[in-house]
Amino acid sequence: MELGAVLVVPAEGGIAAVREAGSRAMTAPENSRPLYSSRVPILGNDVLRSWMERVRKLGVPSVWLTSSPSDESVAGSVLAGFARQGVERLLVIKLESYAELDLADLLRFHCEKRNPVTQAQDARGQLGISFLDHLALRTAGEKYERPGAATDRRRADYQFSGYAKRILSASERQELVRDALTGACAIRPLGTEIQEQVWIGEGAKLANSVRVIGPTYIGARTIVRAGATIGPFASVEPDCVVDCGTTVERSTVLPYTYLAPGLFIRHGLVDGGHLEDLDWGTVADLHPAGLGSRIHRLEERRQAFSKTATDIFSRAAKASSRSFTLPPTASQPWVQVRL
Amino acid sequence: MKASWTILPFPCESSLTDRRALRKDLLTALRASGSPVIVDFSACRTLNYEDIDLLLECVAQAAGRETKVLFVAGSRVNRVLLEVTRISSLVPVFNSVEEALAYPQVAAEDACEDRRAS
Repeated sequence: MELGAVLVVPAEGGIAAVREAGSRAMTAPENSRPLYSSRVPILGNDVLRSWMERVRKLGVPSVWLTSSPSDESVAGSVLAGFARQGVERLLVIKLESYAELDLADLLRFHCEKRNPVTQAQDARGQLGISFLDHLALRTAGEKYERPGAATDRRRADYQFSGYAKRILSASERQELVRDALTGACAIRPLGTEIQEQVWIGEGAKLANSVRVIGPTYIGARTIVRAGATIGPFASVEPDCVVDCGTTVERSTVLPYTYLAPGLFIRHGLVDGGHLEDLDWGTVADLHPAGLGSRIHRLEERRQAFSKTATDIFSRAAKASSRSFTLPPTASQPWVQVRL
Repeated sequence: MKASWTILPFPCESSLTDRRALRKDLLTALRASGSPVIVDFSACRTLNYEDIDLLLECVAQAAGRETKVLFVAGSRVNRVLLEVTRISSLVPVFNSVEEALAYPQVAAEDACEDRRAS
């Protein structure tokens, strides 16, 4: 095997976080800070899936999924393990950003520069996408992890000037939503465009008196009750309930969120019982005031999850018959997915 | 100089008795002077549904009267909650009592009182 790929889902917790990455937002306990998980859909789209698709187009037969805290990289010992198993080049993608980056071009750059490590970055810094060659993998245990170590001097930076947003930042996430709704980036809302720049997901229910102002997205199975106003520049992700008379504008409502009647949500990100005000960066707990909460519908959650994440991990089970084994001495959870 | 405004501290994590007392004080203040009433809940870390209920009642009591009601939210979290509940579109909200006192209508009342006194 010459080319390998690792997708790192920034998360807390162990193997459960990887296996249930798609349902993490749904199972978050009340009164916790919002989880801007990279697995939370953006206009119904799964960023992990989109990266996997791009890796597949690169000709990589399978990827390894793992989970690690966002401020940590893949353990050097694990990278060395890939080298021992014959991986010549390894693509490592940390799921922190959405970047319309051409992986084939990045690979070409990496091969041409002949540096052990190539990291993609834009004007704002690293994008969390790197290529490591065999030498870098072998020496990773001690050098790659330490900033300023010898390997750093042999690291090439791939300057990316295209479209990129850090999806773990609530405000950049909202910018991404805005750009996707206006066609300024390649993401397209997952639903039917019922009028100009208004997309509705499958099974969404809107009362007759609901006012929808484009550009706006209302996700699958979401219920919007009488007198509510959604938009402009709003994204109400799947499986939410927006109660009577509530206004959501220039904001995102993450999956499985209930919003009480008569609210005014403007330039915010709501995740269950929490609202982050994007102007101030303040997180308010809506739950004690009865203004918002997490929707706990276990059965429906299981069904929704089965459509997104479970099939990925069922493919992981099939892939386990491959000769490639789990990286040795890995303290992180690992799942192999055939593409 | 006689103060021409009334500052009412909001009972944080209020009991039924506290809420009744505030409601009574508010009504008294509104009836008594017609001058601005400042409801100060800057000591409250956050607001629960009973607090929101009471604030809405304050707004309702002041509605249709000439007396101005002002809220001192203190924290950004409280301000966010007031915005979400649309209360801040009904009542001017300030970060501190000092800011509220500098509000033109409160300052104007003060000036008026001064002129009457002299």
